[in-house]
Amino acid sequence: MASAYYEFYRGSSIGMALTDSLDELITSGSITPQLAMKVLQQFDKSLADTMVKMVKTKTTLRGHLHTYRLCDDVWTFIVKHPSFKMESNEVVSAPRIKIIACKNGDAIEPGKK
Amino acid sequence: MSNKIVPAIYRAVIDDVIHNIKNEFEEFGVSEEVLAELQHKWEKKVIESHVAEFETTAPPPAQQYAPATHHVHMIQQAHPHYGAHNPYAPMPAPNGQAPQVKAEPVDSRYILGGPQGVASHYALPPLPGPTLNGARPAAVHPGGHQSVLSFPPGPPPVQQQPQAPAQPSTAAAPRAYNAPAPAANPAQPAAAPRIPQTDGPSDSSDDSPSPPQSYAPRSSHPSLPQPSTSQNSVVDSEAINSDLDDSDTEGEDDADEGTAGDTDIVFCTYDKVARVKNKWKCILKDGMIHINGKDYLFARCTGEFEW
Repeated sequence: MASAYYEFYRGSSIGMALTDSLDELITSGSITPQLAMKVLQQFDKSLADTMVKMVKTKTTLRGHLHTYRLCDDVWTFIVKHPSFKMESNEVVSAPRIKIIACKNGDAIEPGKK
Repeated sequence: MSNKIVPAIYRAVIDDVIHNIKNEFEEFGVSEEVLAELQHKWEKKVIESHVAEFETTAPPPAQQYAPATHHVHMIQQAHPHYGAHNPYAPMPAPNGQAPQVKAEPVDSRYILGGPQGVASHYALPPLPGPTLNGARPAAVHPGGHQSVLSFPPGPPPVQQQPQAPAQPSTAAAPRAYNAPAPAANPAQPAAAPRIPQTDGPSDSSDDSPSPPQSYAPRSSHPSLPQPSTSQNSVVDSEAINSDLDDSDTEGEDDADEGTAGDTDIVFCTYDKVARVKNKWKCILKDGMIHINGKDYLFARCTGEFEW
């Protein structure tokens, strides 16, 4: 219990939607910040577990690496003109993309590291 | 494909979270209605963000965010626009009335000459800046080059949107690099309240990144340090950074602040990152890609880059 999961998914679309909704409820006084924290922790866990369980797709990515950074076991890359090849041969590109990657495929577990 | 599965995954995540926090809610003595409301809001926002095609059961948003229609509209335009989701960025809102703010559209970059209204929604001018007001930027820049300066759509379109329009603009800013269209714009902006940032630090002919940032119409006089940035540190950077600063870094910082909806970003974990000379190879796992306003998920991704 209380295994820690990465929290950075909170910055994703779904994570931000949740955070915003929680903030609204806190502002309106319907819930306490502590409860909101619990919700977010649960979100971290649910999202991580669901992704591992349900997502099986593979992707490849190419591009020009513009910036790379490693700090505290977190890699941050800025790639210019990335091109993602999704499973169905669907190619997606953008002028620039940032990649934030934490260590390992697993969540951090207490006691580890 | 990985976009098609997104709605199902999100649905599963939401259900799982709600199910598991029911107990917490009870412990805290919060009624189930609040839980239902949370779920409802959450779903609504996710759907509004249009990061994938959801079968909406939720009622159309229209309240906080700009009407979804805009999004649709935008999507049709195929702008690389992000879903209306503007989550973070509390923008002080509403500039709805004051077109000026909107005029700032950082987003204009995206608007390749496109629909004017579109950009504005999203463009919440990060800068409080002098009202660029409404001067509608002279109509879309020709050729769509982004002269950032020309903010497209004038306020009127903006008006429609209730303030919320996304903050994407902030995110956009960093991307503005793409179309720096630097100098050209000066002409346009001059007319409008937008102050073309042609002179001043950004403008320098240097290749330093700043130029693109020209989106700043933010009233900025080049030398004027933009007052904070409401959310866009990028904008600020333009004012205060020296040419030596790497604009990209600024952009990163900005994006880091959480513009999930605005910037193209990938959240994942890495298994391996290796480099041989200037060739980088990475193996990434369990990732969520947000790009061009859509979300994609992957279990594994191999990346090859050249630095």
